[in-house]
Amino acid sequence: MPTVVLMDVSLSMTRPVSLDGVEEYQRKNLAAHGLTMLFEHMATNYKLEFTALVAFSSLWELMVPFTRDYNTLQEALSSMEDYDKTCLEAALQGVNNIVQQEWGVSCPCQIVLVTDGALGIGRGSLRHSLATLRQRGDDKKFPLPFPFPSKLYIMCIASQEELQSTDALDLLEQLITLNGNEGHIFTVEGPLCLKNVQSMFGKLIDQAYSPFHAVLRCGHLASDVQVFPRPEPVVTDEDVDPIQKNVSSELDIVGFVEIADISSPPVLSRHLVLPIAVNKEGDEVGTGITEDTEDDSSANQIAGKSPNFCVLLHGSLKVEGMVAMVQLGPDWYGMLYSQADSKKKSNLMMSLFEPGPQPLPWLGKVALLGPISDAKENPYADDDSKSPFPLQPKNKRSYAQNVTVWIKPSGLQTDVQKILRNARKLPEKTQTFYKELNRLRKAALAFGFLELLKGVAELLERECTLLPDTAHPDAAFQLSHAAQQLKLASTGDSQYAAFHQNIMPLPTDFSGSSGDRI
Amino acid sequence: MKNLSVSHKTVFVVDHCPYMSESCRQQVEFDMLNKNRAQGIIPLAPISKSLWTCAVECSMEYCRILYDIYPSKKLVCYIVSDSEFHILNSWNQEDQNVQELMSALAAVGPPNPREDPECCSILHGLVAAVETLCKVTEYQQEARISMMDNVERVSNRGRIICITNAKSDTHVRMLEDCVQEAIQDHNKLAAGSDRLMQIQQCELVLIHTYPFGDDTLVSDRPRREISPVLTSEVHSVRAGRHLAAKLNILVQQHFDLASTTITNIPMKEEQHANTSANYDVELFHHKDAHLEFIKSGDLHPPGSNSRDSNLKETVTLKWCTPRTNSVELHFCTGAFRISPVDVNSRPSSCLTNFLLNGRSVLLEQPRKSGSKVISHMLSSHGGEIFLHVLSSTRSILEDPPSISEGCGGRVTDYRITDFGEFMRENRLTPFPEFNMMESNEVPLERAKAQLERHTRYWPMIISQTTIFNMQAVVPLASLIVKESLTEDDVLTCQKTVYNLVDMERKNDPLPISTVGTRGKGPKRDEQYRIMWNELETLVKAHNKTSERHQHVLECIQACRSKPPEEEERKKRGRKREEKEDKSEKNGKDVEPEKTWQESERLKGILDREKEELAEAEIIKDSPDSPEPLNKKPRLAMEEIHPVDKAKGPVSLLTLWTNRINVANSKKHQEFVGRMNSVNNKAELYQHLKEENGLKTTTLYLSPLVAMFDVCEFF
Repeated sequence: MPTVVLMDVSLSMTRPVSLDGVEEYQRKNLAAHGLTMLFEHMATNYKLEFTALVAFSSLWELMVPFTRDYNTLQEALSSMEDYDKTCLEAALQGVNNIVQQEWGVSCPCQIVLVTDGALGIGRGSLRHSLATLRQRGDDKKFPLPFPFPSKLYIMCIASQEELQSTDALDLLEQLITLNGNEGHIFTVEGPLCLKNVQSMFGKLIDQAYSPFHAVLRCGHLASDVQVFPRPEPVVTDEDVDPIQKNVSSELDIVGFVEIADISSPPVLSRHLVLPIAVNKEGDEVGTGITEDTEDDSSANQIAGKSPNFCVLLHGSLKVEGMVAMVQLGPDWYGMLYSQADSKKKSNLMMSLFEPGPQPLPWLGKVALLGPISDAKENPYADDDSKSPFPLQPKNKRSYAQNVTVWIKPSGLQTDVQKILRNARKLPEKTQTFYKELNRLRKAALAFGFLELLKGVAELLERECTLLPDTAHPDAAFQLSHAAQQLKLASTGDSQYAAFHQNIMPLPTDFSGSSGDRI
Repeated sequence: MKNLSVSHKTVFVVDHCPYMSESCRQQVEFDMLNKNRAQGIIPLAPISKSLWTCAVECSMEYCRILYDIYPSKKLVCYIVSDSEFHILNSWNQEDQNVQELMSALAAVGPPNPREDPECCSILHGLVAAVETLCKVTEYQQEARISMMDNVERVSNRGRIICITNAKSDTHVRMLEDCVQEAIQDHNKLAAGSDRLMQIQQCELVLIHTYPFGDDTLVSDRPRREISPVLTSEVHSVRAGRHLAAKLNILVQQHFDLASTTITNIPMKEEQHANTSANYDVELFHHKDAHLEFIKSGDLHPPGSNSRDSNLKETVTLKWCTPRTNSVELHFCTGAFRISPVDVNSRPSSCLTNFLLNGRSVLLEQPRKSGSKVISHMLSSHGGEIFLHVLSSTRSILEDPPSISEGCGGRVTDYRITDFGEFMRENRLTPFPEFNMMESNEVPLERAKAQLERHTRYWPMIISQTTIFNMQAVVPLASLIVKESLTEDDVLTCQKTVYNLVDMERKNDPLPISTVGTRGKGPKRDEQYRIMWNELETLVKAHNKTSERHQHVLECIQACRSKPPEEEERKKRGRKREEKEDKSEKNGKDVEPEKTWQESERLKGILDREKEELAEAEIIKDSPDSPEPLNKKPRLAMEEIHPVDKAKGPVSLLTLWTNRINVANSKKHQEFVGRMNSVNNKAELYQHLKEENGLKTTTLYLSPLVAMFDVCEFF
């Protein structure tokens, strides 16, 4: 999930923080300190997160476009200048544009808004924006809720009491509500100081940036992994109660399926599965980077040399063109596969299916998938020439079964023409002729369109009179037989108009010519 | 859309009264004469459909689209009303398809124009519809069972679509009131019944249809609330294509559908096979397939007014001629069933047949900016066509670290092929539901159990295993993981073991890896010892599975304990390996083995001394005897496995000692005393002690002594 840090650089952020005796800070210094801590955390534990930095006052500016280079972010943070007043609406609109341009509307994003809770005055203030919420046209809609899935984290460089003394907290809460309750407001507990700001950002890190660690298992083979981006809980749309489902930290492989069989399934999200070395203790937030890197690289080298199940699995999935079905929780499944990017690098990737017992119609219920050794004969055949997938639905869809639709006259005309075309090629086309005739008959009976049966009967009679002298004698017999049967059916008499009863070809003595006689 | 929304249950109530047999007064030419045959023939007069036929075919089209896109959980009950009501099908899933309905409609037949209109009324059908809505569907029943404590929270909502010919607005109001009354009555009934459910919400859609050319006597009216339970809307439409268009719009509204037109589909005409013309095909599908467009503002949001007019809104996507059968995993964020708008038109059936034959087609979205992007894919799975939504934006996972840079990434000898084989053996296959009842075991749990069994002993890298590098072990290794073994399986396993014994006797080389061992690779019989240990580890992991598995283990253990004579022969080779013995890493597994060998060895010593000379002769004569160990091949083996440099530098002394040892080992047999020595102390004249109980002398062997050619002293 990409992150946008939205930093308030209005004049109020330069307000000094009064602390007894010690060094004097401005609020923006506290904010920068907190963000530095966040960036450091990401650089060590959340390396693959893309982060952008936006500064705003009455105007907004994209200071650093989405990047994984936390040094750049850090530098930009320290070179921020002070501007005029806070105007949150424009800034949120800016975030909206930046995110949509980069990631479209389906990629979930996290927005970290850092502000002192002085939300501006007059036009452009948050109070004004929210008050005029309902009086806007389509072109000037308030940017919240964002069109993309999002979490809005508001980091207030102010204590709760301070915010409550104005209506700031209410307004910020309204923002979260507007965003579909997706987000959270953090305030400084205790006096404003470095330590308390740190602990506030610590809470944000715990809530939004803690890496997701899990154990990937296949029977007794296992590997500790980090799943990135961390899988977010999914609320299933049950009829009675919405249920929040979390991805289990035990990822159990349940079996394997060919890529051709799983066939580009729809997924909720994709995640990298990165093997991690076990027992890396002292992996704490904010430890001195310089000292750690050396240890890290040597530790990494050792880890690189000890066999890891993920690498084995990845290699075989890639070579065999298969995916591993993995259970993420009760009635929730996903798949593991090798994903190559353009630069010949490849990786173990996990996609999450929609929670539920049957995420893919063509696989059926996952619980009903069993080992091939249980099947009477190998469903893949010994030479892999067959496959038990995809599952066929009980009923064919309309486009797969030659349905009759006569809503447009052309539909009706085509069907009548088909019969006539075959009528002219009797007796060779006897079978097709009756097949088409019966199809028309069935539809006409169902639609109560008896007049059509009469009409087609007349058509066939006319065809009979138009037969050339060279025509096979059987043709005339079949045509008049068919015409007579249609006429009988058109009376609606249940004896002749039964839906499942077909008109059968007239048995004639032209043996050898009409194929169905021995 | 929630499963049990108002769209869960739809009741069609179609008027079957005598006036419905009236013509819709739109004529259909059905006698299209071929130009060159047309001379002198007067085409037959066009025919026209009755109001009934129009109503039936339009409602069937509604159902066709609905069933294509929602094969389950969206149910239709079809009721026909004349002097009484006829319920044509039930809520049961097996009744939910167009064929069933067509068959039932054929049985009803067209309305009888001679029936007494006074006895006939749509009301019979409407009341029956309300009654039907109170009936529990399979899905509601499932929900009720899963919600034992909160049965009342399972919702019961539905929609009644009534196609009739009303007399006036007052008549319409009368129908509405009647439905409202029926709901009240039946809800009272349902309250006291376990098998019925109260209706919580009902949408009544009244469609007044009348022949072309007549003035309508009923006015359109948007949805309005009649009571908290009932809403009603009135549509007044002419029969024929107008009614069809209306129901087409309604099915989209009722089931959240949207339309996509695939444009630029190249199709060849039969007559002109070398040219192709481009066609368009329109498809219905769930509107979420357009979510991205709606959100990004490329499309009007759903529910905007344009939908209600006859001008349908459709998204145009361009056909991209598919590449040949590439099996690829696309990043797909949604897959939605489709239904062609004009199902049996030539372009439609051409497209659907193409897809049903297993081809996939990527679709391109023309953007406002003029740039193009692949946004969707059409593909069929098991006879159903889906519109897949592909992700077309930048990936947040771009440029990830390669797997070779992470943990285990530097290891190069993974058993990739073997694990591929393992994956093939552990592929999944669907089982029918009733199987579950029989065995009482969920197939997926059996799949997991199989994975568990197959991985009990599964070394990940080639250099960690001997037995899995040996073709000879394959029969046993593939059988032992089975849940149960037949007698034949046990025999096969035993044969494998005998075969290995035979190999050992012949002293066949083993594919032992020396990576990670210090010094020269292990000697041949040491290799066999490693192999046997590994095999035992594998089989031990399964010996609790069944008695027959146990038999296999017993067979291995029995075969390993060779007769003394055999053991004797082996010993010659082992003498030279005392040093390797110490660096043996197999640890625990080996311990009991060692002690056992030790005692066996002591026993053998007595006989050995006696037979020593004679034996040498015998061995050479026997065709089964191992090759003399101090010949060239051995040297070759040692050169293949160089000293592992990874474990630090080798001292000059070690190098020298090794060299001398190698040279010497070719010339002599190891001094028995040293072989059996403990801390370089060897007991001399053991047999004397054993026989006579005499005190023994201890000889100290210094390392220097080891360098002499001890053999010469014998």
